[in-house]
Amino acid sequence: MNLRHQLAGIAVALVVWEAAGRAVGVDLFAPPSVVLSEYVTLLREGQILHELAGSLRQMIVGYGLACAVGIPIGVAMGRSRIADALLHPWLSMFVVTSVASLVPLFILVFGTGFWFRAAIVFVASIWYVILTVYQGARGIEPRFIDVGRSFGASRWRAFRDILLPALYPYVITAMRIGLVHAIRAMVVAEMFIIVGYGGMIYRAGLATSTAPLLALLVTLMLVGVIANALLRGGARLVAPWYEKRVTSAGSAVP
Amino acid sequence: MSVRALGLTVLSIALGLLLWQWAAWDVSRVVFAPPSAVLARLAADVASGVLLKALVDSLVTLALGFGLAVVIGLPLGFAIGRSARVAAMFDPVLNAIYAIPPVAMVPFLIIWFGLFFEARVALVFLMSFFEILVTVAAGARNVDPLLIAAGRSFGADRVRLVTRVMLPASLPFVFAALRVGLVRGINAMITAELFFAAVNLGALMKQRAQRFDTAGLLAIIVLLALFGLAAQGGLKGLEARLLPWHVRR
Repeated sequence: MNLRHQLAGIAVALVVWEAAGRAVGVDLFAPPSVVLSEYVTLLREGQILHELAGSLRQMIVGYGLACAVGIPIGVAMGRSRIADALLHPWLSMFVVTSVASLVPLFILVFGTGFWFRAAIVFVASIWYVILTVYQGARGIEPRFIDVGRSFGASRWRAFRDILLPALYPYVITAMRIGLVHAIRAMVVAEMFIIVGYGGMIYRAGLATSTAPLLALLVTLMLVGVIANALLRGGARLVAPWYEKRVTSAGSAVP
Repeated sequence: MSVRALGLTVLSIALGLLLWQWAAWDVSRVVFAPPSAVLARLAADVASGVLLKALVDSLVTLALGFGLAVVIGLPLGFAIGRSARVAAMFDPVLNAIYAIPPVAMVPFLIIWFGLFFEARVALVFLMSFFEILVTVAAGARNVDPLLIAAGRSFGADRVRLVTRVMLPASLPFVFAALRVGLVRGINAMITAELFFAAVNLGALMKQRAQRFDTAGLLAIIVLLALFGLAAQGGLKGLEARLLPWHVRR
């Protein structure tokens, strides 16, 4: 029944979009039928995928670094009171900082090349990765570790065989939330200096028809949805107990 | 907050600032300013009133956009979350919209609302609206069925059930939604000032960036972060007063 309702929801949304688009016209809000034909043309030209691949490559560097650095920091903060006390004020401060406000500063520091975009993505996603892993690491049942320790597990074994598996679900959630912020930051940075895929979006906004603009947004949406699905699929492989833990916490974590 | 926790927080801030000062030691002021310069700049800016005037002007945008998002997002989120079927119908659509970076909507907002006040309000609305909607919908779904059953068996009708049981039970989520929504709204406020016609703090940032004034830029960033923290803290305080039964660590 769930799938049927979801499909119905998508169908209703498409119908509403089509009706609204026809009512206001392509220059304000192109209906999906027009966007689709425009989309095919854009794909044939090939620029859209080329720019997207280039932008994603830079994003992956920043995002990958954010995960590689953020996950251990999150675990440390969750398991050590001192690390928590020392890092928490800065974590709360950076989480509320707007990415857009950092862009002018980062341009001065890094220029407008590869490292500028990678750095913006890194800074935008790492704090969310840390925060999510931290919350997970802090909430792990102390009993699990106590049982392990009383059966003679060394500190290292307790960490590797008890703590880490219990953390997988949160690590995956952290990577998903981090990815949302990484993609957002990528677009913010690129739209500001009008390069790459974000630059394409900006230029499409100047056209008389909104169809190319919508096509670009739909592609971005697909990237987000597909990446999310891949991470979920990967999570099922490495941690089959993942779904149960996370769906109870709700999928709507911002 | 205990004395010890307060001490550790102070220590953490002091250590962070020292680290920053040390990192900026050998670097040119143009590229990266040390915290001493930034704090001095912030104090001077606050004293001269430029920052506060710009911030107050920005707040009008924030208040209007965030207010609209709350007024529309709260009831709608509640309605979506109450029915499993409606929630299932909205789920893929909301996920799809959520996956689009809000800043990518800027060209659209320019087409519809121009470059000035209306466009800024629209971006603030858009960015906080979806956070509020999604969080409240999750909250309405998570109301303990036992509470509803208890209300029913004591003879509560539908209206009473909604106003006396479900609303109070989902209030913690409402506050969470307001907090997340407000922080996103503040982010949207500065994003809008930088991406539409530059005004207020956004215009100040662009001017300072052109003059390679990193201390001035960092002063604005620090001010915005402190403002975000204060807004979040204020809502947390309000929550603790209004919902004393909802214990939060």
